[in-house]
Amino acid sequence: MSKALLIGRPTDAALGDQLLGTTWRRGGRTWWIVFAISGALTLMLFSLITYTVVTGIGVWGNMIPVAWAFGIINFVWWIGIGHAGTFISAILYLFEQPWRTSINRLAEAMTLFAVLQAAMYPVLHLGRPWFGYWLFPYPSQMEVWPNVKSALPWDAAAVSTYFTVSLLFWYLGMIPDLASLRDSAPTRRRRFIYGLFALGWNGKATTWRHYRAAYLVLAGIATPLVLSVHSVVSSDFAIGLTPGWHSTIFPPYFVAGAIFSGFAMVLTLLIPVRHIFKLHNVVTEKHLENCAKLTLVTGLIVAYGYITEWFLAWYSGNASEIYQAWIARPLGPRATVFWITMICNVLVPQLFWWKRVRRSVLALFVMSLLINIGMWGERFMIIVQSLQREFLPSMWSSYAPTWVDIGIFVGTMGFFLFLFLLFLRLLPVVAVSEMRELRHDLERGVEHG
Amino acid sequence: MADRMLAEYPSEAAIVHAIHRLREDGYVDIEAYMPFGSHVVEHALDRPRSRLPIAIFVVGICAALGAYLLQWFLVAYLYPLVVGGRPPHFPLAFIIITFEMGILFSGFAAFFGTLGLGRLVRLVDGVQGTPGFDSATRDRFWLEVSMRDPAFDPERTRQVLADAGALRVEIPEGSP
Repeated sequence: MSKALLIGRPTDAALGDQLLGTTWRRGGRTWWIVFAISGALTLMLFSLITYTVVTGIGVWGNMIPVAWAFGIINFVWWIGIGHAGTFISAILYLFEQPWRTSINRLAEAMTLFAVLQAAMYPVLHLGRPWFGYWLFPYPSQMEVWPNVKSALPWDAAAVSTYFTVSLLFWYLGMIPDLASLRDSAPTRRRRFIYGLFALGWNGKATTWRHYRAAYLVLAGIATPLVLSVHSVVSSDFAIGLTPGWHSTIFPPYFVAGAIFSGFAMVLTLLIPVRHIFKLHNVVTEKHLENCAKLTLVTGLIVAYGYITEWFLAWYSGNASEIYQAWIARPLGPRATVFWITMICNVLVPQLFWWKRVRRSVLALFVMSLLINIGMWGERFMIIVQSLQREFLPSMWSSYAPTWVDIGIFVGTMGFFLFLFLLFLRLLPVVAVSEMRELRHDLERGVEHG
Repeated sequence: MADRMLAEYPSEAAIVHAIHRLREDGYVDIEAYMPFGSHVVEHALDRPRSRLPIAIFVVGICAALGAYLLQWFLVAYLYPLVVGGRPPHFPLAFIIITFEMGILFSGFAAFFGTLGLGRLVRLVDGVQGTPGFDSATRDRFWLEVSMRDPAFDPERTRQVLADAGALRVEIPEGSP
């Protein structure tokens, strides 16, 4: 097994040249084209945000009863995607899974950029985002304080903690590689810039000793953190009374869904990056297959969540809950989304039972895209379909997004891609110092075993 | 004024061998530089465990307690308000922010603790200007002997380091 994690026996220097070399490589034409498109979408995003803020939240499709709509769907979707990064970098680290090493940097970059997209939505959704700071307890002359018994300040605390701790974890893990970049930089200017960010790292054993202790502790605290974040997000729903929301299955169901969609996004990003940077020797079939297996496991938990929802709706005997789960979602307005969700999240991952599918790069890529779509559909289903059919039939309505909603969503995808492309260009995609450590551990294992 | 001597070794095994040699000769003030966090080298240097986790734990607990008190102060003392049937002091609702703040400040303590205890973010680190030292972040291991070490002798130490398989022995130009 160990051999499959790293193909060939590259020396430390060769690993450095290969993996740091991605940073010095000049962008090809394709890179520039994709970068330009993502840049244009980013500009569109900020234009539409400006339009929303200047005109008012009425330019979105939100209405009563569907007051949450796109803003919260996309918030939950993006933050869910982030979860796989922390899962890989922290939880798999604690479980001593050596295969995490070559993909954790990329996955965690994905986390940061996804959480950044997510964090924009609730702030814009406030309607008056310039009052966003009211969520924090600051001494004000109004003497009105945030109500910390509501789920929304919990969200603010969880999401901002998640972003900050992920950033610190990612950056701390990158310091030795930034020092490597500084010392191998081809130009003086790059040496200076990477040198600034390397914070004077010189590989001293004393520093490594504290560094490793801190890294382990950060992994230890990021583990409950990642499980808490989507649990808190699910509380936004679960502590409300809306049919389809008021359920104790929500925290584990949301966390599993988050890791499920996150692994799908890891595959979506990893497969092209592996191909473009020719990382086949460090990101092997074993890595892709393990991602597929985890997608399957979390997909089964998600499917179990759906079954529990249907069962409990029936078992509750509550007319609104039964109507919501058994009629409104599969047959009501926007029922197509329900069926797409079921196909993408329940049926598609079952193909991962076959080894041939798990080992086919093309199948993995296509299926990861389908799962991303399915998970977005799930968020739509939970939010829009529940709110469309609340208790009073006189309140029933049907929701449609506006062009601004769609534009902002597409814009966040562009902004995500924009940041990700910059990351690919400027920073080492694979954790080089950790790969060196892995190589030595594998060699020792080979020698001893 | 130079205060240390540095030797470059080609591999983990070579530097471990050199560390053992120096230890046998009675050197105590030695330090290693390495391109990855090698357990083997750390073990050979025989350093105590980092105490940073204890500091992180203390910071985390204090932050969590502080967050709980702040929440109580805000919604149970300063502005008591019953919303959704939850009484002013409602521990269950306070758990999440308490937990998150504990984690957040533990994260800060871990990061800034590493910068502080690891002696990072300094303009001068004593090894700058050593010829070829760039290899320490690439694939080579460097061993440092302080000139303040009681066993230090310029000629003899250089000889011991070289005999242990050093590729080169240098005295940093820029030593303070």
